[in-house]
Amino acid sequence: MEKKRLYWKICCIAAIFLCILTFTPLVIPQGIATPELAGVPYSLWTSFIITVLLVVLTYIGTRVHPGMQNEEEDV
Amino acid sequence: MIFWVWVFGLIYAGLLVFASLKSYKKNRSSEEFMMAGSNIGLTLGVLTFAAALFSTFTFLGMPDFFRINGVGAWIFLAVSDGAMVFLLLWFGYHIRNKVKGMEFRGVSGLITRCYENKLAGYVFFLSAFLFLIPYVGIQIQGIAIFMDAAFPGSFPAWGWSAGIVLIMLIYSEIGGLKAIIFSDAIQGLLLLVVIWIIGWACLNHFGGIGPMFDKIGTVQEDLLSTPGPQGLLTPQFLIASLIAILMIPVTQPQFTTRIVVMKSMKTMQLMAVSLGAFAILVILPTIFIGMYGADLYSEYGRDEFFANAFLYDQPDAVAALAIIGLIAAGLSTTNAQIFALGSELRGLLRGNEKSIMRNTKIGIFVFSVIAFFFSIIVFDQLVLLARVSFAGTGIMGPMIILGILSDRKVSPAIIYLSLVGLIVFLSSLAGFIPDMYFGLRLDLILFIILGLVAVISHLTGKKLQLISPETDQ
Repeated sequence: MEKKRLYWKICCIAAIFLCILTFTPLVIPQGIATPELAGVPYSLWTSFIITVLLVVLTYIGTRVHPGMQNEEEDV
Repeated sequence: MIFWVWVFGLIYAGLLVFASLKSYKKNRSSEEFMMAGSNIGLTLGVLTFAAALFSTFTFLGMPDFFRINGVGAWIFLAVSDGAMVFLLLWFGYHIRNKVKGMEFRGVSGLITRCYENKLAGYVFFLSAFLFLIPYVGIQIQGIAIFMDAAFPGSFPAWGWSAGIVLIMLIYSEIGGLKAIIFSDAIQGLLLLVVIWIIGWACLNHFGGIGPMFDKIGTVQEDLLSTPGPQGLLTPQFLIASLIAILMIPVTQPQFTTRIVVMKSMKTMQLMAVSLGAFAILVILPTIFIGMYGADLYSEYGRDEFFANAFLYDQPDAVAALAIIGLIAAGLSTTNAQIFALGSELRGLLRGNEKSIMRNTKIGIFVFSVIAFFFSIIVFDQLVLLARVSFAGTGIMGPMIILGILSDRKVSPAIIYLSLVGLIVFLSSLAGFIPDMYFGLRLDLILFIILGLVAVISHLTGKKLQLISPETDQ
């Protein structure tokens, strides 16, 4: 249970970190479209990866969320 | 095209009738009618949530938003949706625990109980009413514009709007929330299929993703980076949008209801993950349609772009599917919103169950009529109006989260401040006061202030003492 709590906290911190990162010049440099990845502009491919990572984090969250312990009680 | 519209239209109508009849039960309880028996499985849950979330706002609005503002639109919606599904996991757990063992009568009813203060429920209902109705209206209008382009001169725009409202009322009256959820499932799938068919056709116009962006670079280079040609997608705009979209499951009652009626905690959690994947799948092709519009129709207005990209440039069968897909997208979201408003009203009504249900149904009818009139008079960009709707209801987020999460007796100050925040936000929308202060957007300032007030209220709240039988305290 304690481990799950820790993993869940790590997931939350990672999700917040990804959100903050999105709004920095690292992802949205104003007026800059390079470097491209397979022809895709910079801000689009970086933010696409962030979106996928957020969904992956959500999946990991379902596995480590401490509330899943109480699932049996749930109707 | 008319032939294909009839073919797909009849199939779609048949499925809606089937969904309504399958959900119809004589002598059903109000709980069954309003909350679908609180027993929704994973597939239905994902599709109903997705169909309620991805509306004409996504189907028409997002291609237009990409066309005008460029690739930063992905951050505006997709990254925000990614964060939202993570929050859904966290918030869903707490709200389901909160309502466990009690009858859920909408967020208004729940929040009234949490604060033991009726004003909290009324303030929430007021924000939901004020910000959902125009949003519903503009979606009905979006469908009407599209139908007018498909069948010019056959009906006036208000005739299409009235028809849509009528269909919505009939099948929600017959089958209740369950019919809406079944039809959402059909509509969610239809939306995904249609948007990909059109997106794929638009991508083929360029010959691939790389050539697409190469071409856009020569047409309008600003579309390939933020803040876009109009300078709209600044970090501040995107952050405020993220917060507004994050608050959707908390403050938009149609989503909160869907979280609560899921069969189990595990189903709800898996629904959150699947919804994230669905969001990526559904938003991706809107980039292709938007870039197609930027290439061919950059000088055109909104309506001409929709008509060309979705109808005139497509083969007849695809154009017919686009019409049905759009109706599906708009109908699923609007009926979810109108029904949710009815559900919120029910949470505030007192009296015997029969009269509550009668008044709730009258309320749903009245809300539909008001939305119909809005659909005739409102004119705005779909996406920006949707964003205003998310931000407007989002102002209630700190009050709701505090009420649900805090285990302390908190001050009612947050209720009054949320009401003040709502009035201030409305005043800025009406142009009575500026929408920027000290270089910050007003909605962002309101989110920050109310968020801080919620934290302070929790920290200064009195801890609730559990009654112990031994000490008799």
